[in-house]
Amino acid sequence: MEYTYLTPDIVNKIEEYKSEFLTKDQIIIQALHLIYYKYRDLSLDHMLELSNFLEVPLNQIEGIVTFYDMFRVKRNARHHIRVCKNLPCHIMGCKKLIELFEKLTGEERNQESKNGRFYIETVECIGACSVAPAFMIDDDLYDGTKITEEKLNEILSKYT
Amino acid sequence: MKSYPNIPNFYTYSSVNLLLRRCKEPRTVDIEEYITTGGYSALKKALNRFTPEDIIILVEESTLRGRGGAGFPTGRKWRFAISNPKPRYLVCNADESEPGTFKDRIIIERDPHLLIEGMVISAYAIGAERGFVYIRGEYPAGAKILENAIKEARERGFLGKNILGTDFSFDISVYRGAGAYICGEETALIESLEGKRGHPRLKPPYPVSEGLFGKPTVVNNVETLANIPIIVTYESYYMNIGPAGYYGPKLFPISGKVNKPGVYELTMDITLRELIDIAGGMKDGKKFKAVFAGALGLYSERDLDIPMDYSPKGFGGTGTTIVLAEDDCIIDSLIVIAEFFHHESCGKCTPCRIGTYELLNILKKFQEGTATEKDLQYLEHLGRNIPVGSICGLGYSAPNALMDALKKFKNEFLAHINKQCPAGVCF
Repeated sequence: MEYTYLTPDIVNKIEEYKSEFLTKDQIIIQALHLIYYKYRDLSLDHMLELSNFLEVPLNQIEGIVTFYDMFRVKRNARHHIRVCKNLPCHIMGCKKLIELFEKLTGEERNQESKNGRFYIETVECIGACSVAPAFMIDDDLYDGTKITEEKLNEILSKYT
Repeated sequence: MKSYPNIPNFYTYSSVNLLLRRCKEPRTVDIEEYITTGGYSALKKALNRFTPEDIIILVEESTLRGRGGAGFPTGRKWRFAISNPKPRYLVCNADESEPGTFKDRIIIERDPHLLIEGMVISAYAIGAERGFVYIRGEYPAGAKILENAIKEARERGFLGKNILGTDFSFDISVYRGAGAYICGEETALIESLEGKRGHPRLKPPYPVSEGLFGKPTVVNNVETLANIPIIVTYESYYMNIGPAGYYGPKLFPISGKVNKPGVYELTMDITLRELIDIAGGMKDGKKFKAVFAGALGLYSERDLDIPMDYSPKGFGGTGTTIVLAEDDCIIDSLIVIAEFFHHESCGKCTPCRIGTYELLNILKKFQEGTATEKDLQYLEHLGRNIPVGSICGLGYSAPNALMDALKKFKNEFLAHINKQCPAGVCF
């Protein structure tokens, strides 16, 4: 069977998981991570293909996608900025950082991306409280303690 | 030259150099580095010289308590597990999502082999052949480092079939979560590990009798498991570290308004005041206001002399310390915490699902200046009733910080009713 979204890389990795994990259900979240990493988004089509491939009901996959935060939001952007808004980052000034992000990218927090480059999401603790306000871009974690507009621009320019 | 994942350096300090002794540089993730600094010698010792029973006795004597927050004696948990039939599972809880907690990630990202060694010894003790590390989705670098380390350990025969030539076999898989605080609760974690939505189960039965796939399962925190090789290495000398009854090193993640936020490895014979001093004191010489113990408790200036141990009056928990200064508003902080719990409630129990939302709305009224005395009573009413109507730790502890605040910072609530914010944040 031909797949549109499940690339050979993803299929190979899922096959690896099949021998590693004990049940088929255990693979779902791990497979969703693979798809999310590749497409930075999860749509119904993605889920439908995964459901066909793993032979698990679509509702089970959709149930997982709607429960877990990392899969839940429709992002439509190539890069995903996550700014922590929990207490340590809150008292260390994450509001300013979020505003700076909005200014530099021209996007609004938690809103669909306008040009498909960045999506800014305010999230709960990302476990980097000594470098608060902490933020992640895609899979990279950054120290926000001494961030300036210049530095942030430099970081953002790496993500095209 | 080998390349290592790019992780920002967290400030670390250690007075005993046990858990954090390899956490200064990125190269410590390599197995060679780990072995040359004495790594996997505890595993050899355990497999060659001790029976599983010996190790359980050692852990019981060490008074090691679960470092994930609940502080349950690890030895007793293992004892419960081995009274149930095989197969048994060992699950490492690396889903630290508590606000202000970042101690486990240091071990995972800098010294993954310490965790693996701890898991293999623990599995040997409880008779498990299969283990999982449930790592939170927000730690992609940590998951990669751990997967790599597991591969290295397998190649060297520290993991897999017939470990070190004995008839003991054990293997570990890394399982990534996907951003749900509730999955740090052990039964929710197990549900998630089975590939379902992370809803907590009703207890009992506890995981030690019916856990993963209905089999006996031991769920231990990263820091707890990282203590095991140290206990096996030092045996009774472990009891020289720290105060009586609370032996061993403890990690304290400190954040907020201190000069040197970071992860501190200390013994539990210090007080909260000393901890803040060790962390460099208050930032910019500001006046101390309060400490949030993660989202689970609030301490005022009067509590600064409490011990940082697991005694009933102690600090306990994960050791998370978020320090607030005079220019931080308690109400404003409580709103952040309330938003967190409202967001993270899984929705299974109505009092928690709706209650956390109500708490948030009332607290917002204080910030907007529309609150009245009645709202104070309603807060107390909710704070008492949410825990009663919930089945898991999230519901039990959601109003903790608020209830503490109502006792210790009542004047701030009253000031907000009069449209005044002592810290100058809200109005």
